[in-house]
Amino acid sequence: MIRTPLRPLARILEARAKGENPDAIERENLRLRHEQMRDQSRSRAEGRLLILGVLFFCAYAAVGARMGVLAASEPHEPRAAASGAAITAQRADITDRNGRILATNLATHSLYAQPPMMIDKERAAKALVAIFPDLKEEKLLEQFTGKRKFLWIKKKISPEQMQLVHDIGDPGLLFGPREMRLYPNGRLAAHVLGGFGFGREGVHSAEVIGTAGVEKAFDDYLRDPANGGQALRLSLDLSVQAATRRVLYGGMKLMNAKGATAVMMDAHTGEIITLVSLPDFDPNDRPRPLLEGDQSDSPLFNRAVQGVYELGSTFKIFTAAQAIELGLANANTLVDADAPMKWGKHKIREFQNKNYGPLLSVTDVIVKSSNVGTAKMALQIGAQRQQDFLRELGFFEATPVELVEAPGAKPLLPQRWADITTITASYGHGLSASPLHLATAYASLLNGGTKVKPTLLAGGRPATGERVVSEQTSAASRDMLRAVVSRGTASFGDVPGYSVGGKTGTADKPKPRGGYYKDKVIATFASVFPTDDPKYVLVVTLDEPEETSGAKPRRTAGWTAVPVAAEIIRRTAPLLGLRPEIEPQPGFGVTLTGN
Amino acid sequence: MSYLEYNVKTVPTGLRKVLFLNWALFLLLAAVAGVGFMMLYSVAGGSFSPWAEPQMKRFGMGVAAMFFVAFVPIWFWRNMAALAFSLSILLLLLVEFFGAVGMGAQRWIDLGFMRLQPSELTKITLVMILAAYYDWLDVKRVSRPLFVLIPLGLILLPTFMVLRQPDLGTALLLVVGGATVMFAAGVHWLYFAVVAAIGVGLVTGVFMSRDTPWQLLKDYQYRRIDTFLDPSTDPLGAGYHITQSKIALGSGGWSGRGFMQGTQSRLNFLPEKHTDFIFTTLAEEFGFVGAFSLLVLYALIILFCIASALQNKDRFSSLLILGISTTFFLFFALNMSMVMGLAPVVGVPLPLVSYGGSAMLVLMVAFGLIQSAHIHRPRGR
Repeated sequence: MIRTPLRPLARILEARAKGENPDAIERENLRLRHEQMRDQSRSRAEGRLLILGVLFFCAYAAVGARMGVLAASEPHEPRAAASGAAITAQRADITDRNGRILATNLATHSLYAQPPMMIDKERAAKALVAIFPDLKEEKLLEQFTGKRKFLWIKKKISPEQMQLVHDIGDPGLLFGPREMRLYPNGRLAAHVLGGFGFGREGVHSAEVIGTAGVEKAFDDYLRDPANGGQALRLSLDLSVQAATRRVLYGGMKLMNAKGATAVMMDAHTGEIITLVSLPDFDPNDRPRPLLEGDQSDSPLFNRAVQGVYELGSTFKIFTAAQAIELGLANANTLVDADAPMKWGKHKIREFQNKNYGPLLSVTDVIVKSSNVGTAKMALQIGAQRQQDFLRELGFFEATPVELVEAPGAKPLLPQRWADITTITASYGHGLSASPLHLATAYASLLNGGTKVKPTLLAGGRPATGERVVSEQTSAASRDMLRAVVSRGTASFGDVPGYSVGGKTGTADKPKPRGGYYKDKVIATFASVFPTDDPKYVLVVTLDEPEETSGAKPRRTAGWTAVPVAAEIIRRTAPLLGLRPEIEPQPGFGVTLTGN
Repeated sequence: MSYLEYNVKTVPTGLRKVLFLNWALFLLLAAVAGVGFMMLYSVAGGSFSPWAEPQMKRFGMGVAAMFFVAFVPIWFWRNMAALAFSLSILLLLLVEFFGAVGMGAQRWIDLGFMRLQPSELTKITLVMILAAYYDWLDVKRVSRPLFVLIPLGLILLPTFMVLRQPDLGTALLLVVGGATVMFAAGVHWLYFAVVAAIGVGLVTGVFMSRDTPWQLLKDYQYRRIDTFLDPSTDPLGAGYHITQSKIALGSGGWSGRGFMQGTQSRLNFLPEKHTDFIFTTLAEEFGFVGAFSLLVLYALIILFCIASALQNKDRFSSLLILGISTTFFLFFALNMSMVMGLAPVVGVPLPLVSYGGSAMLVLMVAFGLIQSAHIHRPRGR
């Protein structure tokens, strides 16, 4: 900046000469300088002010715009606070074939805490322990005083418990509505229904998801709001299921078995009327899976579907039926059943080393359950045709039933199908399948020869598709099975009026490391009733039964599984609406499972 | 040097001062305060107690104080600036030692008849001392480093004391208010650029220091920042205010639910509904129209202040008006954006509307200063 002297000498001298006051000039100079400075700072200040103004305006615009956006927005509860809002809590009911409830929903409450809102944490913890004795006071107090802002205390509480918690009066203890799954029939049909668990949990609701059985298999359907809450109707019959479970439970105890299962199927539609597996569990309080030991001993294990066993002599009827179907024999053809039979280095023996001689009719092979006779027929049929037939009957695949457990239960098949395999497979050894497989195969074979598909859904129509055998073969097979009951190994299975037919099967249990137990068997009775007009197929399997009323423990199916199955049929046939052909006489046919 | 000395004679004296008061500004203030009474009345469920009545009394006291301050010549206040600033620093120190603990923060001194919040006072005295400083300082020296350091120290001293209390909102107001005065006084823009760069660096540092032993902010302050960035993460905790107030604003819609019809704020969904979050009540009951009208009222106040500052040829006066109006602007801009989820919840009241004693009184005194500067502005020429 160029400094202008305040008193330019020339001007002052000039002023003096004119007689003016030099101070006036001085003042004027001062004023001019001030004005100059002021204008400068002013213009700068105005520029700055403009910038500030723009900033202010921007802030105003932002606030105003935000206001508009918020005013235009739909008011809604924050999502995270009501995280349950997006959860569909409604789950469809499950009913039996007659519409009786098997699974429904119950509105309960969950209890949670927001420690920051709690007033007297110590008192609250103490009072909560008094209401819920399974809670630990120290742990609760630790959680309340810790950093957590939210914690679940109980997922499901009763109205009484809720009232008691209300009475504590702590604002930090809060309730949320919660639907839970209720199985009003408890253990009945536990394995079919499976169980539930909570998925995503919110304060306002929780997702109920199926964890096993049909609950899981039909999880999407049950949760789909599009179905309008329409119940899932199963093919089970609650009354029959209850009667079957009761009898089977008694039979299991009486026969000292460690497990038992019964499957009853509509022979024409493949609908499963009853499916019981013991030991069972209460799906309302589903036990945890076993952490060690054999999973197949767990009550969660569905023996009917998941249990694959060597089903023994029950398979003989398939061999006989195929032989008849192929024209290799008829029911009266004589078969050489001279035992023991040598095949390579193997010897095929009969039960208890009996010998049924060289001339045994096909019917008697079945009636007496001759291994040798069956083996001879199987060798005539040949490995390939035998496999094709068994595949046709469904023994080579997991059952297509609507349970999540089903696809995991694949039959155990021999690696190679040598001639000896053909022989053993003909009487049900060397390959393992589930009782449900057997029931399905029996239904297909005996209903007139039409292949059925097992299903748990009601509303099945009689199968009309593929045939496995002809009508005649099917009838011949039923006659043979009827003969087994009327004069053979399953004589305890006769239920007057209902014309039961069936085949026993007793298979030694395999040891985990190879070989077979001598004293542990799987006893199976696969039956059909009535044989003259086949309606139902029933398979009863007992795991390690031992009937001890005699001098020696008896384990064969004829002594164990058969009387149990007979009692089941006696109890359930009237429930199923079957009319006895003759009037049953009182006191007739007292069996080991009688009350 | 000021021009006042040249122009004192043209300044109105005695009762004539009443005529020269900036009446438009006063009416705007009264209107905003009136909105506040209405809202407090509504929030209390249609009752003058417990908030509307004391607030009205306080506003009355505030008006009296404003007139008193307005009629005292501005040059007296300029001379008092240094004293006032020292006093407020002293009070801040007192708070440090004897302050009552309220809401987890040490903020006020109990004077018996009212609770004095020195940080409120500091907002005004800081602007005063800065304006006086730049009035004293030769314009040519404004941008010299030494003369920049002095006001910087004046700003940072109370800022750190306020931060220690801790009161993030007031600290922010102090820094930005002081910086505005410096900016308007003509400090070279490079300084601001440097400070802005440091600020950005500091913010980064603050975030980097999180969860380390030398953490710079308290946990709850971090959480507030988190909540600001995404309030929905913790809607029941730190984000509760914002989500609830957003609901209130949303449910108000364009024209609102009508006076006394607000549910969100009156059903106790919002804590602090009568203080920092009173704006939500207005937005819910009068909708966008009501909320925007309040915004316009505030804008008019700022506009009148800036016009007054532009008219005023006295450097101290114009800087003071600018500083105070900026502080005022920041007050409600921060509050509104906080309520609407544009800024972190820092606890800044809505000026003249929120329930609160010392804030109202201090603001009225500040507007008294603006009025005084307006009345006693240099005239002629």
